[in-house]
Amino acid sequence: MTNLADAPPQAVSAPPRQRRSFRDLVLQTEINFRLFGMLVALAVILLVFHVWSGGTFLRPENMLSLAVQASGIAVISTGMVLVIVSRNIDLSVGSIVGIVAMTYAVLMTDVMPGLLGMAGDFPFRWLIALGLGMGLGLAVGALQGFIIAYIGVPSFIVTLGGLLSIRGAIWYFSRGAAVSGLDEDFQLIGGGAEGSIGGTATWVVAVLGSAAILALLYYNRRQRRRYGFPLRPIWAETLLASLGVLFVWGLAWVANRNFWPRGLAEAYARANNIPIPEGGLLIPAGLPYPVVIVIAVALLMTWIATRRRFGRYVYAYGGNPEAAELAGINTRWTIMKTFMLIGILCAIAGAIAAARLNGATLDIGVSYELYVIAAAVVGGTSFAGGIGTIPGAVLGAFVMQAIAYGLSYVGVNSPGQNVVAGIVLILAVGFDAWNRRRGT
Amino acid sequence: MAVAEPASTPASAAVAHPAPLVEMRNINVSYGGVRAVIDLSIDLSAGEVVGLVGGNGAGKSTLMKALSGAHPADSGEIRINGQPQTITNPRIAKGLGIETIYQTLALADNIDAPGNVFLGREVTTPLGTIDDSAMEDATRKIMKRVNPHFTGFKKPVVSLSGGQRQAVAIARAIHFNARVLIMDEPTAALGPAETAQVREQIKQLKNEGVGIFLISHDIHDVYDISDRISVMFHGELVGTLDKHACTTDDVLAMIIMGKRPEQLSRQELAELRG
Amino acid sequence: MSLNRRAAILPAALLIIAACGGPGATQAPTQGPTQAATDAPTTAPTGATADCTVAVSWNNFQQPRWAAHDQPGIKDTVEAAGGTYIDADADLSNEQQITDVDTLISRGADVLILLAQDTTAILPAVDTANQEGIPIIAYDRLIEDPEVLYITFDNVAVGRAEAEAILEAVPEGNYVLIKGDPGDPNASTFLPQGWDEAGLKAKVDAGEITILNMSGDNWPEDAGTYTAAWATETAQDNMETIIDRAVAEDNTIDAILAENDSTAIGVVAALEAKSYGFPPLSGQDGDPANLNNVALGKQYVDVWKNARELGKAAGAAALALCEGQDMASLTMEEGLVDPSVAPDSLTAQDFETPGGNTVKSFILKPTPITRENLDLVLEGGWVTKDQLCQGVDTASAEAPEACK
Repeated sequence: MTNLADAPPQAVSAPPRQRRSFRDLVLQTEINFRLFGMLVALAVILLVFHVWSGGTFLRPENMLSLAVQASGIAVISTGMVLVIVSRNIDLSVGSIVGIVAMTYAVLMTDVMPGLLGMAGDFPFRWLIALGLGMGLGLAVGALQGFIIAYIGVPSFIVTLGGLLSIRGAIWYFSRGAAVSGLDEDFQLIGGGAEGSIGGTATWVVAVLGSAAILALLYYNRRQRRRYGFPLRPIWAETLLASLGVLFVWGLAWVANRNFWPRGLAEAYARANNIPIPEGGLLIPAGLPYPVVIVIAVALLMTWIATRRRFGRYVYAYGGNPEAAELAGINTRWTIMKTFMLIGILCAIAGAIAAARLNGATLDIGVSYELYVIAAAVVGGTSFAGGIGTIPGAVLGAFVMQAIAYGLSYVGVNSPGQNVVAGIVLILAVGFDAWNRRRGT
Repeated sequence: MAVAEPASTPASAAVAHPAPLVEMRNINVSYGGVRAVIDLSIDLSAGEVVGLVGGNGAGKSTLMKALSGAHPADSGEIRINGQPQTITNPRIAKGLGIETIYQTLALADNIDAPGNVFLGREVTTPLGTIDDSAMEDATRKIMKRVNPHFTGFKKPVVSLSGGQRQAVAIARAIHFNARVLIMDEPTAALGPAETAQVREQIKQLKNEGVGIFLISHDIHDVYDISDRISVMFHGELVGTLDKHACTTDDVLAMIIMGKRPEQLSRQELAELRG
Repeated sequence: MSLNRRAAILPAALLIIAACGGPGATQAPTQGPTQAATDAPTTAPTGATADCTVAVSWNNFQQPRWAAHDQPGIKDTVEAAGGTYIDADADLSNEQQITDVDTLISRGADVLILLAQDTTAILPAVDTANQEGIPIIAYDRLIEDPEVLYITFDNVAVGRAEAEAILEAVPEGNYVLIKGDPGDPNASTFLPQGWDEAGLKAKVDAGEITILNMSGDNWPEDAGTYTAAWATETAQDNMETIIDRAVAEDNTIDAILAENDSTAIGVVAALEAKSYGFPPLSGQDGDPANLNNVALGKQYVDVWKNARELGKAAGAAALALCEGQDMASLTMEEGLVDPSVAPDSLTAQDFETPGGNTVKSFILKPTPITRENLDLVLEGGWVTKDQLCQGVDTASAEAPEACK
């Protein structure tokens, strides 16, 4: 019998030409269906409001307002994904935001100039306040995480207790009065014309972003080739690259179409001896700091979730807690870290909220937990555990905020907004459940 | 109780009378007041398969969990290659070369095959990040040995068939150069073709000098693959028989009655024979 | 964990949650400096008042003004006459408030001062108190029951004062209306009524004023944007959206009528974020941060209700009711309450509620505060000069007199 190894190589016949369905083509790009669907949904929502408002909705200023309003929720939702994936919940996030925001305000208006003797011109005073606030968020998260992971009290109970007790504690800071007047540098975190990175920096971000996307695609392809894994077809790579780069430059373009208000620009011009041209001086504001913060946090958290062992262990525990234990993973420390992480994220969101308000009131952060959980769930995170993505949650936050902002814009009052938000939530979860039933 | 002499093994596999790979002495395990394993001693040599059988609640899985670190023993001694060891968690067991394929497989459903194979022992890049490509590559290589027809390296394991999931569990166990392998009901959920495959793998591992504890409720399976058979009854070891020195009926009798065949009264024998 | 342990924790947790009803009788020192000695109550304590337990059911103690001004007003008055003061906070929950009333009654309340979270949802608690023969003072917020004594600032007059000041500054142009919680009759009925009495609706009908944020055609229900729970962040987000729309449609915002200070703070933040400048803006309550904004020119008028005087009036009325005096013939002591704030008649007057009840009432008068008369809040000790003038450039010509 002929040894097959010695047989002359035969021409490998090309597979018969099939009519490849659209679905197959999309699968080849390896795009996450759900994320893509959400992007489409967001676009549709924005278009609907544009028509409803008589054509005034889709303006750069409005889009940036929307983005800034969503930023606090979006930041926290990245951490909530990990908490829910590992079969827990954190109901205290709104209260942590509140107490940290009040801490920033009290530090900068009272404790620092008074007790600590740091006057207004103390170098980086705002940064120190920010650091202390983040430390507080971390500490609260660690405490709750410890009770949940090591003492074994269910997270629902612990964080519900946290929600109540921390919200109550805020009252003692100022007997309920609003505290205002933060450091100017700190206020920039809240956005606005001066709280944006400016035109040039925004283009730089676009360049860096495009370069990063291309580098990632290239690196991925190189890895696959190295191990002999199947490659994406070139047209798919090109498509992904184009879409990514287009998105990044589109974002930068929108941000730079947002200009400083006339009065502010003229004051700046006079102060810097710049002649004011006909029609006014157009200074592009660029990306607001809150949006930059969201982007940075989302990238960092995605990296942690997919590229770090900690992230892998969070998902493994969510998928099968016993398997994680038997694999030798320190599951308790992993769980505790998820709560510490979300504590820090709450502190960041608290900084954004306090900076936007230039102060703090008793009710900052109230009901955040509902919006954060909604964002994560709309973004595809499942309460069964083990499933959920961070980009999905960030998108979810923007989708929910787009709806809220849009309804407010066209004049639907807040009860109506709540009704719609609830329906959207149910639809999103229902869609997931239906999809899973189909076995995809 | 006398332990039967092992039948002559292939010369390439083991030196005559080496120190046993695993020695478990006077193991006691209690679960909340119930004594699941009572003063049990058992050995395993390199290149040998010891079948562990018994009825439900006999304590087989519990005994193995003491060895694998999933549920440490309350008292007793475990020696690996003659050295006493304290096995308090799965990590330590794995460090000693003890790998387990659990009855439930202990796979994380939402993670793909390479992720599961390397769970807890991920390959990292110099930066400390997970190297998914390297892990996928290594998994593909092992899988050629375990199940050459395996595809679906990128799918979450929940969408794989029972046999494929079993293959992932086996791949995980053998990739890390196990010296001792604990297999808890490896063929329970498998069809005939896949069962044959698993038997092949076990034979291969035997030849490589791996010692295997095999828990199974299928007497014929155990009989075919094992060298010795240990029977447990309500947490105690009834006896260990050399496969060649007993019949399946003898084994069945031990499982059901909890006594060695020679200890059975005439009446009990009659009951057994029906 | 096992089912049993989980089942055991749940009722325990529920107990803890139910017990977190509020601060109980928390001590709350005054916000800001100590009061000047102008407000010593002058009710003559009788033997009967020494046993009087006055119970207060707050609906939202967390808002600054209650602890800072109302509570001391009531408490000091009651305790100076030898009575006992107890209270509870419902934390914005109707159910919790009904529980609170039960608790206060079982703690021995003789008179109940009730700040209702919702004007009709509170009625079961009112029935309970009526059955026990405990007289009820509806404090600051109306209760739709004919037996209560309604002691409040004239909320319609507050609205009138807000709108009068703004309409005087901006008689024509585009207005934005920011209202409070839709379930609060102050927000939905009384304040808008005051706005209309000052002439808002007439000007809208005459076309001199355009409301930019109508959500429908009904007046006043659809006029303006409501702010659930009077929350500052919500007001901020809503105002940003309104500014966006106005700019997109090329409308200038000429004036903003905000019903109270917590929403006004959010409005100011939105204006600053958009670098929009500061059209004339109203508010009420006299919160320190808002008064500071008045000094800085970011808020135009803040209608100040000297809540301490309201507290005194309620405390004195409670003591009188304790003694057994009849609600209809209750008379305030001359000088108990500052004359500029006191009602026109010192005897209880009839008041027609929107729900068709007639109740006895003491309606006190508000004081609109603008840049020109900031000294009033300083004199009353309501805020310190530091708080009031934080960030004010005293050298500038625009600085208010009170800060120089």
